[in-house]
Amino acid sequence: MKSPGYYRQAGVLLFGVLLMACSATPDRTQSESDVEPESEAIAQVRPGAETSRPVLALLEQANNASRRGDLAVAESRLERALRIEPRNAVLWSYLAKLRLHQGQLDQAAGLAAKSNSLDRSQNYQLQADNWRIIAHARYHAGDSEGAKNAQQRATTLLQKQ
Amino acid sequence: MPSRKSVTPRRKRSTRPRRAARKPARRKKSRGFRWRYLFVGLALVAVGYVVYLDYTIRDQFEGKRWALPAKVYARALEIYPGKQLPAAQLVQELELLGYRENPGQLTPGSYQRRGNRLRFTTRAFQFWDGRERSRQLEAVFSDGVLTRLQDQHGAELSLLRLEPPAIGGIYPGHREERVLVRLLEVPPLLQQALVAVEDRAFYAHPGINPKAIARALVANLRAGRTVQGGSTLTQQLVKNFFLTNERSLWRKANEAVMALLLEWHYAKTEILEAYINEIYLGQDKQRAIHGFGLAAHYYFDKPLAALDAGEIATLVALARGPSYYHPERHPQRLRQRRNLVIDILEQDNGLDPARAQRARNQPLGIVRGKPGAISDYPAFMDLVRRQLREQYREADLTSEGLQIFTTLDPAIQRRAEQSLSRRITALDRQHGLDGGLQGAAVITSTSGGEVLALVGDRQARYAGFNRALEASRPIGSLIKPAVYLTALDRPQQYTLATPVEDAPITLEADNGTRWSPRNYSGESHGRIPLFRGLVNSYNQATVRLGMQLGFEPIADTLQRMGAPRSVPAYPSMLLGAVNFTPYEVAGMYQTLAAGGFRSPLRAIREVLGPGGEPLRRYPLNVEQTLNVDSVQLLHSALLEVPRSGTARALPAMLPAGQTVAGKTGTTDDLRDSWFAGFSGSHLGVVWLGRDDNGATGLTGASGAMRIWGDIFAELPGMPLEPPPNPGIEYHWFDSQSGLISRRDCPGAAYLAFIKGTAPQEKIDCAGGGVRDKMDSTLDWLKGWFQ
Repeated sequence: MKSPGYYRQAGVLLFGVLLMACSATPDRTQSESDVEPESEAIAQVRPGAETSRPVLALLEQANNASRRGDLAVAESRLERALRIEPRNAVLWSYLAKLRLHQGQLDQAAGLAAKSNSLDRSQNYQLQADNWRIIAHARYHAGDSEGAKNAQQRATTLLQKQ
Repeated sequence: MPSRKSVTPRRKRSTRPRRAARKPARRKKSRGFRWRYLFVGLALVAVGYVVYLDYTIRDQFEGKRWALPAKVYARALEIYPGKQLPAAQLVQELELLGYRENPGQLTPGSYQRRGNRLRFTTRAFQFWDGRERSRQLEAVFSDGVLTRLQDQHGAELSLLRLEPPAIGGIYPGHREERVLVRLLEVPPLLQQALVAVEDRAFYAHPGINPKAIARALVANLRAGRTVQGGSTLTQQLVKNFFLTNERSLWRKANEAVMALLLEWHYAKTEILEAYINEIYLGQDKQRAIHGFGLAAHYYFDKPLAALDAGEIATLVALARGPSYYHPERHPQRLRQRRNLVIDILEQDNGLDPARAQRARNQPLGIVRGKPGAISDYPAFMDLVRRQLREQYREADLTSEGLQIFTTLDPAIQRRAEQSLSRRITALDRQHGLDGGLQGAAVITSTSGGEVLALVGDRQARYAGFNRALEASRPIGSLIKPAVYLTALDRPQQYTLATPVEDAPITLEADNGTRWSPRNYSGESHGRIPLFRGLVNSYNQATVRLGMQLGFEPIADTLQRMGAPRSVPAYPSMLLGAVNFTPYEVAGMYQTLAAGGFRSPLRAIREVLGPGGEPLRRYPLNVEQTLNVDSVQLLHSALLEVPRSGTARALPAMLPAGQTVAGKTGTTDDLRDSWFAGFSGSHLGVVWLGRDDNGATGLTGASGAMRIWGDIFAELPGMPLEPPPNPGIEYHWFDSQSGLISRRDCPGAAYLAFIKGTAPQEKIDCAGGGVRDKMDSTLDWLKGWFQ
């Protein structure tokens, strides 16, 4: 059986693919003051040490699926993981990223907010990621003021680290 | 044919005598015409009749062949080390999947239990997102927890997804049950046996086999009774389409013509497939068992593909005459016939001698499947059907062979059904309700809004009025959380400690009618902290608070919780004079249970096409519709309801450490008894009442809450714990003084406040609390010196 450490490493890879999410979202006309939020820093959080083995195994499968470009399978694996650990904030955040990648911005923002509401470990990186996702969703929904606020919250959180 | 022209002029010229003289000749000729007309007419009728038969038989065949009802599955159980899962519960799940306890060989679909160890071999299953292969496993349990999961090579597994239990099909209106199978899924041995035993020339004849008919005729004449049939499989199939006991020559002729027509239109493989799905194989009270797929479940409680040689031979034997070879009435007869089938298969090299001998020696092994096992969950299936209808046409659902993967948890469903049925029976008797008490229950997962169980009748198997979805009743005090949440959304104005008046109030409507709500106890409680109005469900305090807040904001809160209809703005709405079904209430409380995130309730996860290709997913969706902080404050008050409020009797029903939040609901004259509550993982809504809307004598706490408690006592799950929230602080609060007290003070409530809004003053245990504390100190001292 593979060690939890292996799974956590593998889980991290998930983000590599999901990172593309941000570049995949549709472009919109920008004014000078209306700058698209940064996306490069999204998704660097690893599953916490308390994450159980079945969830880590599902994360590895989700990772493999997303690397193959099979986002539906990745999504299903994440949902299965969430049924096992519904209060794992990191899982909600992964699902938010996946939805962002799928172009479902409202959903991505809802899931990111859910992740923030559950974060028990005061994981500022995770919260910052979630705020960035929210910033993206707001930006593409035409709410540039809201996007800026969300982006600002992300920056503040990262400074706390 | 002579033309009319040549006849008519002659007639015109004719005179009487001539006419008389010509009479015989004319008669002769007209008789010839008549014969010809008759012949032509008969030929036309015959052709018309054959066309009619052709239409009838093709209609039957096409209808049956393409009517592949959607197959519905419950959730697939995921098992992993560390899961709360007693061995008995896993065995129950395996049995639901048709696994057998088999002390000998662990073939797929069998298990062996020894103490806290369970060995079993899974069946392979094709999920939409991948295949789970068949594996031999050993599970070890300790104290109700699965502690280890290994395969036969000793490798540890971190996760296993079992097959999903099939829970029913979606059939057209007449509800004829089938488990339809494609020829590809049919064991080759069954196909071989049918041809060898019933119709050796099947692949050669054109639909009828005159040689076989002649042979049967001779044999029957010799015996003086029917001992042999000459019907081909095709004829038997036709006969089954129009099942009747009539045995006339006319009927036989019709069947023969239709058999020829069928063969003319369709391939042998199509006919064999239809035969396998159509043939009559037994009777289960009102339910006819048609087809080998259903028969395999009915007689052996397993899928057709999992039958062994002996079982296949038994079904082939039954095809000859299910009542003549009735397994219980004539077991010896059936056994002989089965062995004859095995002999024939052995001669035809379908079975090697050793296998044939083993099959001959084994007992019949009939284990009747659970009655109505094809759909045990009418209320849930009703919900699935409704949700599917939003995207699919009825015709697609009943004929396209879709596979529907749902969220139903059979273990929780069973628990909910039992609790509801048992408690209702007892309450009905206690309150002299003459069997009129009814109820409904909805259980969901708090995080994903998945419907895990749904009961719509005290007799859960009864597919009638589905109260969970259809009984729209006043929700009474279940509305109060919406009123208090609206207040808590204004943290500058209201906290859970804000004083409110619980005092008589009279409101006047526009039309001049006056309304003076009373508390359930009939008493008013004066100045109380806000949370007490909710926790003790005081009507006067709630109406006063509601009037301060205004109807619109409260109606808006209800909408954001997920109310499916807007709520009318009149005062009695504040006390729940507004109708919702238990399912709709669950949809609204779901948003509260999930911390302010709304997920529409889902009964379906995926829909697959007949070939297993994914057609549609119903993904987990969440939308934040309520303020997370306000909901967290509300949770702390709802957690107080079982601690010190109207649900005080609840904790004693639950295992220690199972913290839950909830709200009781009772309507005027005790007509409706409600309880809605949630743990960290599950939400449940229970309603009790009468269909005639009569009084039940039950409050929310004395009726629905008991059932809720029974269900949740057995639910493995997480306690409701507040997530850390830097914007919120918790304090022990003394209701009498309205000040912050301490955990060890009697009657202290643990309440959440937005940071900086809690009362500043502290008290060291107020009123009687101080005396209680002194007493307990004295007891402690006594303990020292005794």
